[in-house]
Amino acid sequence: MIDFGRVQKELQECSKDIEASGIKINPVSDNLVHLTGTIPGPIGTPYEGGTFHIDITLPDGYPFEPPKMHFVTKVWHPNISSQSGAICLDILKDQWSPALTLKTALLSVQALLSAPEPDDPQDAVVAQQYLRDYQTFVGTARYWTETFAKASSLGVEEKVQKLVEMGFPDSLVKSTLEAVGGDENMALEKLLSS
Amino acid sequence: MVSDSINNAQIASAPNSRDFSKKKRTNRSAKLKQCKLDVRREQWLSQGAVKNKGYKEDQKDARKERDRSLENSRQRDGHNNDGSMHHESDSESPSNSPTNSLLCGDSGNNSGTNFIGSSSSSSSVSGSSSGGCCSGSITEEEEDDGCLDDWEAVADALAADDDNNKPELEHDNSCSQSPSESQLSVQSDASRELENGLGLDSAKSMPEGVGMLPGVSGNNTRAWRPDDVFRPQTLPNLAKQRSFPATDRHFGQRGVPWACNNVLPVPSSCPICYEDLDFTDSSFLPCLCGFRLCLFCHKRILEEDGRCPGCRKPYEHDQVESEGSVQGGSLTFRLARSCSMIARS
Repeated sequence: MIDFGRVQKELQECSKDIEASGIKINPVSDNLVHLTGTIPGPIGTPYEGGTFHIDITLPDGYPFEPPKMHFVTKVWHPNISSQSGAICLDILKDQWSPALTLKTALLSVQALLSAPEPDDPQDAVVAQQYLRDYQTFVGTARYWTETFAKASSLGVEEKVQKLVEMGFPDSLVKSTLEAVGGDENMALEKLLSS
Repeated sequence: MVSDSINNAQIASAPNSRDFSKKKRTNRSAKLKQCKLDVRREQWLSQGAVKNKGYKEDQKDARKERDRSLENSRQRDGHNNDGSMHHESDSESPSNSPTNSLLCGDSGNNSGTNFIGSSSSSSSVSGSSSGGCCSGSITEEEEDDGCLDDWEAVADALAADDDNNKPELEHDNSCSQSPSESQLSVQSDASRELENGLGLDSAKSMPEGVGMLPGVSGNNTRAWRPDDVFRPQTLPNLAKQRSFPATDRHFGQRGVPWACNNVLPVPSSCPICYEDLDFTDSSFLPCLCGFRLCLFCHKRILEEDGRCPGCRKPYEHDQVESEGSVQGGSLTFRLARSCSMIARS
């Protein structure tokens, strides 16, 4: 059984210093099992300026089991799958400790963005590129950040309008957009997959 | 102001403490200090800049200086003495000032001592030991150290003159306290007074000679009683004095670490479940790294990978068992589990 009291308090704590950390955690569903986290791309990296959305699912054993996290926003990074967004990070696996929180875990993910570990890759293609042709890697990563991690210039209303025109119900579009943090492409992907 | 009242204490205790000026000759620590002083004097003389003029004046001035320096901070103490040295003996070459700064805190006393020379070793002894007292009474921490340092010496001195003091002490003890307690307290006070008195002996009673016999005239030779009107307020109260041996024992018990000495401050709530820690939880320290958690969460972790959330090292079972509070923990956990089963069904 998830300790919802703890999750609730974690969310409160995280929202307290949202300005300092830039890390946001919002519940997607009412039962706090499904959350979405937002981290800013670290400054001085190809991810700078991007806003990355991370899908968080809490297992039954949380906080004694690690939360399940994967990137919703597409990222070009040796330790993050460019296809699925799966994250290769020890603290999300065997090195998880109940003393860690969602916020500290997201901070670690953010640190992973600035310190890739190509020797322990999640995405072999990206890791190869990172090791053999670093300049190209930086260019690709920056391009992906520009393309997928920058907030669309369109306003929310326009996005909703656009998606409704594609034939999705209005309320579903709104809730989906909210769930992915306003990212139009992500919302479309999610709507199509559901 | 602590320092002011210490000055008062010295003045007030002056007539009472003359008899102690004899005891100090048998004072072991004083002899040690004398050895140190001799070394310092050699250093001093090797500078080759000491003049043999005006010893007495210098001695007195140095003492005044020391009294004044009580009111200053310890750092400034050294500076003042430096200044006074230059002022008093302008004939001295500047090469002396490095020596002064070398001697640093108690240079005032040492200068007095050095000028006296070996002829009056007793006064130099008193000067030096009172120097220890003075520097010790500036800050609280050092005061304790000073007391502990002097404690042995004082005990020796008291033991040497036990015969003189005992009847009077017991006479004192006719008040409400039990003899052993009050004797201890009176001795503590006496020791305190001895320290204070030593400083003054050198300044006041020495010129008159040591003609005053110890333990002759009733009140003057007695230690401060707790209810004494003239008892300086700065003298530590009985509880504090008595706490010295107790503190010692406490330090001894600290051989068993972690039990009473927390590595980390006790958090008010469990870092795992964010529930408040009750008394049992806060006294529960399952891992050497100092990471605390409530018994529920600890039990839960033991059921799974059994690693401490703070350091990721496996919990040591014998360590946990020796904690003694595990039994209570498992008991409460069993209760909680049955509760949750009821809730689930």
